Amino acid sequence: MSTTATSAPAIEVRGLRREFRVRQGIFSAPRQVIAVDDVSFAVPAGSVLGVVGESGCGKSTLARLILNLLAPTSGDVLVDGKRLADMDRRARARLIQPVFQDPFASLNPRRRVRDIIAMPLIAQGDVATDDMNRRVAEAMERVGLSRDQAQRYPAQLSGGQRQRVAIARALVLRPRIVVCDEPTSALDVSVQAQILNLLAELRRDLGLTYLFISHNLAVVEHIATEVAVMYLGRIVERTESERLFAAPRHPYTRALLASVLTPEPGLGVPDVGLGDIMPDPANIPPGCRFHPRCPVAIARCATEAPKSTADAAGLVECHLAESVG
Amino acid sequence: MSALLEVQDLRVTIGSTAAVRGISLSVNKGETHCLVGESGCGKSITALSIMGLLPKGSVRETQALRFAGEEIGGYGERQMEHLRGNRMAMIFQEPMTSLNPAYTVGSQMTEVLRRHRRVTRTAAVDRAAELLARVGITAPGLRLGQFPHQLSGGLRQRVMIAMSLMCDPELLIADEPTTALDVTVQAQILRLLAELQKDLGLGILLITHDLGIVARVADRVSVMYAGEVVESAPTVALFAAPEHPYTRGLLTCVPVPGKVKRDEPLGSIPGVVPRMQPGFAGCAFRDRCPEATDACAGSFPRQNMSNDHQLLCTLAPGWTGSAAA
Repeated sequence: MSTTATSAPAIEVRGLRREFRVRQGIFSAPRQVIAVDDVSFAVPAGSVLGVVGESGCGKSTLARLILNLLAPTSGDVLVDGKRLADMDRRARARLIQPVFQDPFASLNPRRRVRDIIAMPLIAQGDVATDDMNRRVAEAMERVGLSRDQAQRYPAQLSGGQRQRVAIARALVLRPRIVVCDEPTSALDVSVQAQILNLLAELRRDLGLTYLFISHNLAVVEHIATEVAVMYLGRIVERTESERLFAAPRHPYTRALLASVLTPEPGLGVPDVGLGDIMPDPANIPPGCRFHPRCPVAIARCATEAPKSTADAAGLVECHLAESVG
Repeated sequence: MSALLEVQDLRVTIGSTAAVRGISLSVNKGETHCLVGESGCGKSITALSIMGLLPKGSVRETQALRFAGEEIGGYGERQMEHLRGNRMAMIFQEPMTSLNPAYTVGSQMTEVLRRHRRVTRTAAVDRAAELLARVGITAPGLRLGQFPHQLSGGLRQRVMIAMSLMCDPELLIADEPTTALDVTVQAQILRLLAELQKDLGLGILLITHDLGIVARVADRVSVMYAGEVVESAPTVALFAAPEHPYTRGLLTCVPVPGKVKRDEPLGSIPGVVPRMQPGFAGCAFRDRCPEATDACAGSFPRQNMSNDHQLLCTLAPGWTGSAAA
């Protein structure tokens, strides 16, 4: 991206695609679901790319592909110009780490906090005990966990503290990139604010790069420098955060923004104008995949898929978007 | 006019936890009263205790629990069964767990009506189809024959709403009705509820943790903390001049696009909602409150301000303190 990329990209995704074969019933033929369809982007070091979209749009599949928890059908993920797929697990873990939505599910309930945080170090295999203890203590301090919490079990911690443990575990190898998949969605608002502030502080102090996946646009607006809007596996709009929220170009982005309910009384609930048809990743419509729900669709949208066009204002995939020079 | 639902000094104890500690609230015909607070503060228990659906082993005490002018606090299970689903109905957060997966939508919807009214099967099916159409479901005939798992989350929640309306209730209690849904669908469901309320004159008690929803749909708000209503006011008054430190804290925690600068941290409330023991004295928020004084440990009266605004705090209305914005 010419507008934001002043430094070299920390992470780059090229033509990423993932197909699944799903069976609806025992006797029916399997159907093909394209969860992520030709997704490309680059995130400069120290930036935050927010990925938003409804459930089923492929944003979590994208996170899993980037973390190499799923193998792509085609395409590459590069960190510092090197293909992640060519590295072994340990090298990959030193570069990129995840933080998931539900810290209850992502932490082993039978392990103490210090062992959970030390696990990535143990998996590296060649870290001395002293060094390990020091780095675990350092990571815990970094995320605001007190020393006496090291001996606790996850069940003895609150939701916010558990998410801090998950973040400490992600940081203990000093990665360059952290993939956050709905990191605050399971938390209460006051705790969500604590975790968002922590993530912002860590990015500033450690120069981290985030891929931040969320369905909550207000949260993404607060933390992301750039936002990608996904719809049925494709990025339909991607641009700088301020620009996206001030002047959305894709009708889907506009509908998403309209559905954000800010705490301002008297405005009522907006009509997002999307109708009743829900997107089905197993049944992607011809032409523009958004056209059955689009409030401004024209005849051409039903037959011809729009091309992704990049210009000074970012990237957009819509027949009606005017190009910005 | 007397209130449709009137609760005075409701207390619920579950085992050794005081879940609800003296709540008073009322809902008028055609009014939406929102109960807002973080998880664990007793919102859902309040709703369940009004419906007479508390878990075994819990004890409910009230000074008054009146529905449509009638004291229902002393009702037995048979009498409550006659009210529930009939004159007062409830919608839950996760429609997948509150719909029976083994029965079709049609059989579940008609069961409600046939239980409370003497109607023929065909009349019940007609009524169900009519209501499905009313909540914006296309092809209601088809949906009646389908099972819950064949519907999307938004459709399931519409079915739940339609089902709750089968017997023309006067009061609808909605516990986080849109929390499990996408933002776009959330806006549609909330619009639907508002529309139904206008047409049918429903009184709605809406439980949510989302201040955005509160601002957009409530006529009146009660903010709950640790089993108490700490502040209650008409929605516009509450958002214009929040008084309780907890309410003010919650409002600063919410990222609002365009309002909070990205580089500035969000406000946050340190700590978590405590579990209350019976017999606790003083303000339950004092350990997390930036304004706490010695007076907060004693007992103090609820303050009644003008404009029907009530506050449970030792601070004088209009206070400005260290943490005030």
